[in-house]
Amino acid sequence: MPKRFVTTKVEIEGREETKVVEVPSRNPTPWGKDADLHVVGKRVPRMDAIDKVTGRAQYTADIQRPGMLHTAILRAPVARGRVTELDLSYALALDGVRGGVTIDNVPDVKIDGVRLLDHNIQYANQPIAALCADTLEIAQRALNAIVLEMDVDRPVVSAEQASSPDAPRVKPTGNAHRASPRKSSRGDVDAGLREADVVITREYRTPVALHTALEPHGAVAEWIGGRLTIWESTQGIFMTRREVAKAFGLPQSSVGVVMHYMGGGFGAKNGAPHSTYIAAALAKQTNRPVRCILDREGEQTDAGNRMATTQRVTLGAKRDGTLTAIDVDVTSALGIGGWLASPAKIYHEMYECPNVRSSETFLFTNTAAMASFRAPGHVEGAFGLERAMDVLARELDMDPLALRTHNYAKQDQDKQREFSNKRLDECYRQGAERFGWSAARARKASTGRLRRGVGMASLTWGAGGGPPAYASVRINRDGTIEVLTGAQDLGTGARTVMAQIAAEVLGAKVADVRTILGETERLPFASNSWGSITTASVGPAVRIAAEEARDSLFEAAAGMMNVDPTDLEARDSEVHAKSTDRCMLFRDVCEKLGDVMISGHGSRGPNPDKTAIAAFGAQFAEVEVDVETGIVRVLRIVSAHDSGRVINPTLAESQLEGGIIQGLGYALFEERVLDAHSGIPLNPTMHDYKIPTMGDIPRIDAFFVDAVDTVANHTGAKGLAEPPIIGTAPAIANAVADALGADIPEIPLTPWRVIANRLLGTGNGE
Amino acid sequence: MRLIVNGAPYDVAVPGHETLLVTLRERLQLTGTKLVCGRGECGACTVLLDGRSAYSCLTLTAACSNQAITTIEGIGREDSPHPLQAAFIEHDALQCGFCTPGQILAGVALLEQNPNPTEDDVRRGMSGNLCRCGAYPKILRAVLAVANHAETTDA
Repeated sequence: MPKRFVTTKVEIEGREETKVVEVPSRNPTPWGKDADLHVVGKRVPRMDAIDKVTGRAQYTADIQRPGMLHTAILRAPVARGRVTELDLSYALALDGVRGGVTIDNVPDVKIDGVRLLDHNIQYANQPIAALCADTLEIAQRALNAIVLEMDVDRPVVSAEQASSPDAPRVKPTGNAHRASPRKSSRGDVDAGLREADVVITREYRTPVALHTALEPHGAVAEWIGGRLTIWESTQGIFMTRREVAKAFGLPQSSVGVVMHYMGGGFGAKNGAPHSTYIAAALAKQTNRPVRCILDREGEQTDAGNRMATTQRVTLGAKRDGTLTAIDVDVTSALGIGGWLASPAKIYHEMYECPNVRSSETFLFTNTAAMASFRAPGHVEGAFGLERAMDVLARELDMDPLALRTHNYAKQDQDKQREFSNKRLDECYRQGAERFGWSAARARKASTGRLRRGVGMASLTWGAGGGPPAYASVRINRDGTIEVLTGAQDLGTGARTVMAQIAAEVLGAKVADVRTILGETERLPFASNSWGSITTASVGPAVRIAAEEARDSLFEAAAGMMNVDPTDLEARDSEVHAKSTDRCMLFRDVCEKLGDVMISGHGSRGPNPDKTAIAAFGAQFAEVEVDVETGIVRVLRIVSAHDSGRVINPTLAESQLEGGIIQGLGYALFEERVLDAHSGIPLNPTMHDYKIPTMGDIPRIDAFFVDAVDTVANHTGAKGLAEPPIIGTAPAIANAVADALGADIPEIPLTPWRVIANRLLGTGNGE
Repeated sequence: MRLIVNGAPYDVAVPGHETLLVTLRERLQLTGTKLVCGRGECGACTVLLDGRSAYSCLTLTAACSNQAITTIEGIGREDSPHPLQAAFIEHDALQCGFCTPGQILAGVALLEQNPNPTEDDVRRGMSGNLCRCGAYPKILRAVLAVANHAETTDA
């Protein structure tokens, strides 16, 4: 008997994990390149769009419960110190204030290594206490009545400070994470550098960027009869359930987590944050439903960020452009905690090179913890690698695109695995053609005030998805179909994509299918919606569930139509017998069955052995730089992607455009600014932390090359949400370097950086 | 005081400093209007006052007594969406949807003032409404589609 449980590798956010997986009940033939598909691959309108355009979609902050209280959080006004006195009694005595929590009456949980409501202050705006009241305004005003005394210490604000010998210790164990330096290598880099005809060394710096999801983190908590219900803006309902159940000592069956709509996550909403525990603790204390939603300052200062990096890169190459060595030393500032996202990984993956060496140091500082942010690690790493590749191309007097295609990686070299599929070559070819790369490169450089330049960058991202993921499909008595899976739709379009896959398999009208997700209590498990894994993870489970349901439906219909089930096919919610030309509507079959429930259950099987699964892309940018004002304007972006089969081109293109626009913000505007002495955030508003507006958007031509991946999984799809942000900033910065003839080594390329480079020659010099 | 919201009268007693955003969301439970920045920086709380767009987070309820207030709930319904709502669906001019009510109201106000805007007019007119998902190219297309549509039906 074949094994029911096996192990497989799954890559999530650049981390490869080994997972136990239940072998699915069936193993469908992959939908190949020429598969005859009627719903998958079509531009089906986003199925929940009507709820969003009418304002009916209920987000976490829109949840209203009878008797609900509102929460305000007291945050540390300093970045390092110790609470010596904390007295809530005056605040609790105010009219309308119903409850309050400090470290003494919340569960003993750590968030990013910091105890919830800790008296040991380790970063500015760290939560210290919370109050709930009849209205938010009362709660906010009551914060002023809390007595707070502190001893204040000098904080460690930057990576430079953290690594100086006389720096205070951020953690008792020191300022470097114990895994530092994390080293990885293949081949012999020193030999590779000796072999090189050209060697370049450069240093690049990337800033702390803030997710700035329009909907902040937050939760509504309600206890009924020992059961806890949490409405939370989260990318992982089951992860929140697990963490909250553990914190409050509850069985998982006594916690339900709901997330029907969320206003953006971008990586920052994985795992229960402060607001969830605070809401649940206050709800328990007051015996009333409690809402705790971060205000904008809380969201911008204590809800995750993209870590800052410094990357020292050395590349060696033969005169013909063949890479002989890649060497990178990265220092990343985590803040007070987070995880070790790897900027070095893309240096190992992107190009063919026998000799690669990386060293990564992760430092703690007295600043808010980093969190995953759309393609964590790769966005930072791609900036250094792709900038350095351009410098190398100039040294070699080579077309930057030609240098990249010349060093095309044919396999996963670190692990010596074949790719399931890789059409980056087509991305380069079609991207360059649509951009008019050769013609744009051939244009004469302008020397006037407005200078144009072009640049490009490559990208890759491990977006194969994997188990575990489960789905059920059921057909109602009226022939309508429900897809049930405990996944989340962050605005990605998962609802629509899963309905399309089920409709395809069943031969149903897509309008007859509804996807229900975002509830732990009633739905089968699916993992967090992170790492661009949802389509490639949950999609195959939906396909199997729908196949099971279809087989039952066909068997029932065959009996009614006096034919063999193999004689049946379905289209537009109608079953046809090929031999007799008879047909029956799904609803007529189901009505005859009465309340017999047609259903199917599916799971995601293992990934293929010894195979690397990745998405790829090539991005091209043209910019115009005003050398008098320093203003950089992006004129156009062309972005070509291999993400396997695209289930819904319209929604997928929306994601590409969104990733590119976030990448544009990262390149030009976005940077968290702290006071270098106190560690206090200086731009915690949407006015001072600049994200792109409609006025900043260039012409964007983002598309997919034909790249159905039948090895990755049986739907042929890979992930696509994170890839488009990876190459955007380096492509823009390379274009700026082309325009100025100078290599500004850091982003964002704000006017002052451009002017400073011009006037002072700051930067790597050419 | 009496508020006229989406054509219906509401009698409310609010403190003088209460914002229209709070009144709409917490008293009238019209939660389509979103709180994002609370400082007039993002446009997510946009409503129409006598047909002109306004940030409800910066508008005092007490100042709205004689004005027609329109929120996203009053623009169109599931069975009869406003042409701009239909265009947002058709062009996929949204992802997470959190900024969408504000975008639509800003677009409606823009088209009211300028029924045939150029692309630059829309870019300028809508640049006060932030979208972190980056749906801008499609929002632009949706607004222009309704503008052009109006032009052809008028002709």
